[in-house]
Amino acid sequence: MTEYLVRRVLQAVLVLFLITVVSFGLMHAAPGGPLKVMLSPGMSPEAQLIQMKNMGLDQPVYIQYMKWVGNLLQGDLGHTFKNNVPVGDILWPTVWNTFVLMSVAWGLSMLIAIPWGIYNSTKQYGLSDQIASIVAYLGFAMPTFWFGIMLQQYFAMQLNLLPLSDMWTMGKEGQLSDLILHLILPVTVLTLVNIAAYVKYTRASMLEVLEQDYIRTARAKGMKERRVIFRHALRNALIPVVTIIGLDLPTLVAGAALTESVFNWPGMGRLFVEMAVAREYSVLMSITLLISLMVIIGNLLADLIYALVDPRVQLGRKGGRAA
Amino acid sequence: MSQVQLQDDTVVETNRPGGQLPTNPVGQKPPGLWTTAGKKFMRNPYAVGGLIVLLFFIGIAVFADWVAPHDPAKIDFMITNLPPGTEGYVLGTDELGRDILSRLIHSSRVSMLVGFSVAFAAVVIGTLIGAISGYFGGWIDTCFMRLVDVMNSIPSLFFNILVLALFGAEFIYMILILSLTSWTSVARLVRGQFLQLREMQYVEAARAIGVSHWGIITRHLIRNAMAPIIVYATLMVGSAILSESGLSYLGLGIQPPETSWGLMLSKAQEFMLVDPLQALYPGLCILLVVLAVNFVGDGIRDAFDPRKKKKNPKRRLNKWNATSSK
Repeated sequence: MTEYLVRRVLQAVLVLFLITVVSFGLMHAAPGGPLKVMLSPGMSPEAQLIQMKNMGLDQPVYIQYMKWVGNLLQGDLGHTFKNNVPVGDILWPTVWNTFVLMSVAWGLSMLIAIPWGIYNSTKQYGLSDQIASIVAYLGFAMPTFWFGIMLQQYFAMQLNLLPLSDMWTMGKEGQLSDLILHLILPVTVLTLVNIAAYVKYTRASMLEVLEQDYIRTARAKGMKERRVIFRHALRNALIPVVTIIGLDLPTLVAGAALTESVFNWPGMGRLFVEMAVAREYSVLMSITLLISLMVIIGNLLADLIYALVDPRVQLGRKGGRAA
Repeated sequence: MSQVQLQDDTVVETNRPGGQLPTNPVGQKPPGLWTTAGKKFMRNPYAVGGLIVLLFFIGIAVFADWVAPHDPAKIDFMITNLPPGTEGYVLGTDELGRDILSRLIHSSRVSMLVGFSVAFAAVVIGTLIGAISGYFGGWIDTCFMRLVDVMNSIPSLFFNILVLALFGAEFIYMILILSLTSWTSVARLVRGQFLQLREMQYVEAARAIGVSHWGIITRHLIRNAMAPIIVYATLMVGSAILSESGLSYLGLGIQPPETSWGLMLSKAQEFMLVDPLQALYPGLCILLVVLAVNFVGDGIRDAFDPRKKKKNPKRRLNKWNATSSK
């Protein structure tokens, strides 16, 4: 176990290091590099040089990289080119807003999808199962932002029931009821997409378990079907489901960039799009790193929990699940 | 007595001298994998329906210049925001007086081009890397798999946005970056297949008679891994089309005066008050195409899956069978 743990953590650190190199390299490989943004047009060459010196851009790339990593390790994410605002000041509020949106959507989708998937696995090809597969096909084939726009048109423009976009109504900041009203549409969009996938996972995982010998044994003992499903099947079926859903989370946060843009939700994804257009390198790198870090830690945790919870997982296997 | 390994891993024992394959009773060669799969595919109504819709959109994309009733870029301020059903403008016009139907038709080009070229490029890169990784193993494998880890740790939407914003929202960059962010799943798949297949006896036999690594990879392994690769490629067409629409919606994909369904959606959202229907059509087109592609992909997967012999909902297995037999 310890050896496995150490190896996985080292792997994760290596991947994280490579990501910093890739994202830093990208910023510097881009045409114009960081220079293009910060130099105001019409600046004299001398002034440009001074500006570059101030920003440390006259030094070799690897030194800039090491400085940047050094600052990161001390918790300094850098400053924006425009107005020289510390990145953290812009970033952290949006992280919180994204967290609010995602946790509601995520929790709701699990609450709906897991029981639904369990039910469908017991009644294969029944009505509910077929509805679920229609939802899944639509959820996978539909551009989510389009679904968002459609909901906006119907519920906000035509019926005038719900707010069109944003997180708060002006002057009502901090009121829970206002927040909930604003949450309904984006959460619906995200939940539908998540449900499409989660019902499928749960159903597939349950069906796999239901074929096992120990389920047949349980049935042969004359155990009640309800007990077989919830005691014997569900416990085993949920392990892979929870792992997959957990692994999905960071990707979902990233995928919410589109939904956040549609609904003008002041979250991390929308910030990323805005900052990408404005070429605010330090913000972009911070968000990329933050999300990657979440993915890596998520992967690591999933592997470890999997190994801890399920004694059938062999740790000695070369490469493990992640390879 | 000698043993002959068939393609599907069943070992047939023959008593004939020389160990020939037993001819089957009718004296014909049994139908091959591809023929069987093709027949199964054609019997699946969803898959065939998807294929028809897909071919329809491909046809429209190819012949857009002839099919479209108007020039999609022609601006005419006399006829802005015509409602659907107007004479000559079936779906109406947008805020600049351009015919919406013609714009939809021309947009299908972008989607088809992006979908198929990204899927093709991703499959080529992914198969190559997965094949090398799975066949040779060792440090090559480790290097490639860490690369895959890195790619998978940066959510692809963010990566796409980042690159397009930094390098400029050019069409060719979009295809490149979408390919570069989607090959990893193919690579993992091919690697996994190769890890299994390289232990097969026919690979050992090929090695024993001196077939080169390249020959084994291309002639034996890739051929046997082909079916799942095709399924992945098909599904990737759909996801590439979705990514393109998302990026264009964000303003980082197709740039005006060119047009694409995603771009039309972002314009339609701006003019939501004037004409709420404008946002409906492009989204429906995307939905329809991606749905069709996914049906085709699922159809191919089922056609190659030996476990799904009878997928006829009418012949439902009885309860005992469904729960207790493997």
